[in-house]
Amino acid sequence: MDARVKKKKMILSQGTMDVDFVRKVEALSDTSVRRCFQCGKCSAGCPMATFMEHPPNRVVRLLQLGQWRRILEGRSIWYCASCETCSTRCPNKVHLASIMDALRKLSWDAEGPSKESYVQLANKLFLQNIRSYGRQYEMRLAAVFNVKSGQFLKDLSLGPKLLAKGKLKMFHSKNRNLSEIGKIFTRIEEMRKNGEAL
Amino acid sequence: MSRIGVFICHCGENISRTVDVERVAAQVGNMPGVAFATDYKYMCSDPGQTLLKKTIQEQKLSHVVVAACSPRMHEKTFRKAVESAGLNPFLCEMANIREHCSWVHENREEATVKAIEIVGMMVERVKKNRVLPAITVPVTKRSLVIGGGIAGIQAALDIADCGHEVILVEREPSIGGHMAQLSETFPTLDCSQCIMTPKMVDVANHPKIKLYTFSEIELVEGYIGNFQVTIKKKARSVDEDTCTGCGVCMTKCPQKKIPNKFDQNIGMRTAIYVPFPQAVPNTPVIDRDNCTWFKSGKCGVCQKVCGPGAVDFEQQDRLIVEAVGAIVVATGFDLYTIDEKPKGSPIKGYGEFGHGKIPDVIDGMTFERLASASGPTGGRILRPSDGKEPKQIVFIQCIGSRAREKGISYCSKVCCMYTAKHTMLYHHKVHDGQAYVFFMDARTPGKSYDEFWRRSIEEEEAVYIRGMVSRLYQKGDKIVVMGSDIAVGVQVEIEADMVVLATAVMPQKGADTLAQKLGISYDKYHFYSEAHAKLRPVECATAGIYLAGACQGPKDIPETVSQASAAAAKVMTLFSKDKMEREPIVARVREAGCVGCFACKKVCAYGAVEEKEIRDRQGNLIKVVAYVNPGVCGGCGTCQATCPSKSVELDGYTDEQIVAMIEAL
Repeated sequence: MDARVKKKKMILSQGTMDVDFVRKVEALSDTSVRRCFQCGKCSAGCPMATFMEHPPNRVVRLLQLGQWRRILEGRSIWYCASCETCSTRCPNKVHLASIMDALRKLSWDAEGPSKESYVQLANKLFLQNIRSYGRQYEMRLAAVFNVKSGQFLKDLSLGPKLLAKGKLKMFHSKNRNLSEIGKIFTRIEEMRKNGEAL
Repeated sequence: MSRIGVFICHCGENISRTVDVERVAAQVGNMPGVAFATDYKYMCSDPGQTLLKKTIQEQKLSHVVVAACSPRMHEKTFRKAVESAGLNPFLCEMANIREHCSWVHENREEATVKAIEIVGMMVERVKKNRVLPAITVPVTKRSLVIGGGIAGIQAALDIADCGHEVILVEREPSIGGHMAQLSETFPTLDCSQCIMTPKMVDVANHPKIKLYTFSEIELVEGYIGNFQVTIKKKARSVDEDTCTGCGVCMTKCPQKKIPNKFDQNIGMRTAIYVPFPQAVPNTPVIDRDNCTWFKSGKCGVCQKVCGPGAVDFEQQDRLIVEAVGAIVVATGFDLYTIDEKPKGSPIKGYGEFGHGKIPDVIDGMTFERLASASGPTGGRILRPSDGKEPKQIVFIQCIGSRAREKGISYCSKVCCMYTAKHTMLYHHKVHDGQAYVFFMDARTPGKSYDEFWRRSIEEEEAVYIRGMVSRLYQKGDKIVVMGSDIAVGVQVEIEADMVVLATAVMPQKGADTLAQKLGISYDKYHFYSEAHAKLRPVECATAGIYLAGACQGPKDIPETVSQASAAAAKVMTLFSKDKMEREPIVARVREAGCVGCFACKKVCAYGAVEEKEIRDRQGNLIKVVAYVNPGVCGGCGTCQATCPSKSVELDGYTDEQIVAMIEAL
């Protein structure tokens, strides 16, 4: 993440503190971020904290201030291994592992952020392939991912080896019941529109 | 020839482990003047004391030395035992061979030699001990309470309920103090007025309490049990006995725009006024600096409209002398202001917060008045500048407190809790508003306190930001607050409509002057000092004067009330006897040698040294000498060390005794 973005001044007001997003996180994770008093025990025991630009306690702090963009712009939520050490040890019963889960789910629709980790890009391309072919088409997944993420040569040397072992196919194959799979996607889209699913 | 008995204690194994007590007893037994020496396992136990008493009688002992622990531990025990055996208690001394010897040494041989020397010193000392008769002082069973805030009110009621007369002196026109100004109180949010005013009325109606409001202490003379206090009753310009409190004078007064100090100067009052409607006594007072009559000799409307004819422009300040036996000091606190301070003052203002010149930057007490139902806005939170309701409000804690560079290094103790309360009051009154709090630490020790603070965040939606504010400035009709959130590690900026500063708690102005009148000590901030921080927290070093409330240091209401009751209990202990007996370890002046330089008077911490005239038979003045009042003397010995002509001696610690000890070495 760009250091300047991370260190950018917070302008706090009722307009800039997105309470609705925080409420969604709280509902999904069934926990309250307001209970946290920043003791730091979660970060103290987190095995992944050294890799995160926002250690777990700061993730909660940013949520308290409604600054979810700062979290999703970074990679912290993707480094979380869901080991639940934080949740187990929290003196205030803030279920941080669930919060991380909720943030990952909510990042699907969040515009802009997540650029750096490209996790959601990979997820989206993966599902697009399923929708188009009824099964995965790895060659296309890798190619489109590399183009869209702007890393054209990423993992290119692995291609021949995978091809040789038959792990990567040149051409796609289609599932027979493609229309049934299409229905699943339509159904989920409807549910999401009606607010029945995320 | 003295017949000294020496008793060596084993203290279980505490002493005998490192000191050969039997050898000590044998050696000491041979010292000149020692008639009897023995050792025993526990001298302080019942059989040990019995041994002591029996030996005194059997051996016809004249003096006793108990070699055991520190005199702080058991001197009283053994002196009592000696007294019950028919000897004057001050003919018994303790030699400390535990703390000063066995506990701090390992080598048995060396420790034993040292123990013999310590005991030997005390043997020589005790030979010079004189019989000291107990000193009795009569006690006047009336008490003075200075300050009519919650501390003074509680102390006065407790003492008066015990049947003793109380004189309550208050500087302002009404009792009630700061607590009467508060809107609601933590941690239960009960209305301050509702719990305070009944107590104020109780004071006014109590047959044993004599109330002097609008009065100050002029002079304090005397000592424990026998103080004479001169009280200056300032001219109220309204006769308290005639006035019915109808209030017509106040409605007719043409001067209506005088800032009311009780409302932190945001509300207005008339020149003839009561500070607030529930004032006790409900008698108005004329503010002579602002009254047209006193300024120009015209007007006099209040006098004309007063039915009972209570208004009296001719009234003068009066001096009243009262005799009391004990004094409770409960003068309370004042709040720090961020304004610029004159040169030379140790306390500096806050230029980065605008030196108090931004109108919507207020202090916590002003917020209390805004939130109070009886305040100038009727309980609505409105900006002083334009009367609008603030939608973004920022509270900043630790203003002045914990800032050594500002001259205040202590924590003001109550701000964390009252700021949490303020965020709740704000949230209750402005539903669509948002409160922010900048804080360094949240210090909430106390019953149900931390829960209260957490409630303000978890339920009342206050946003707490850990980190101090660097600067405030006006931008249009907003105040820009520049701070940082140290948990996130980034700067924070808030455009606030109003800013509330939790300013430091400081002693009342003039606390030092009053302390000098009373002869009590105070610290560098002018908070009054207690005799012992832990074991004598409500007593002054000066006997007969007790402390209650925030004049001693920042305190909240529960603590203040507890201390006030504790001070009252101390006063009642003193009043439980007609005469009080005290230890006769006091300084005595040898008048023949005294040249009357009064160096002793300057150094005496207790104000015990008086001037005494010596006259011949014709009544001609020969000389003026020092006299130590035994009722007041604290027995510290400073005068003895100071006296250039060696004319003061502390009984029980005379030069002769000390020299004898040194020579025995």
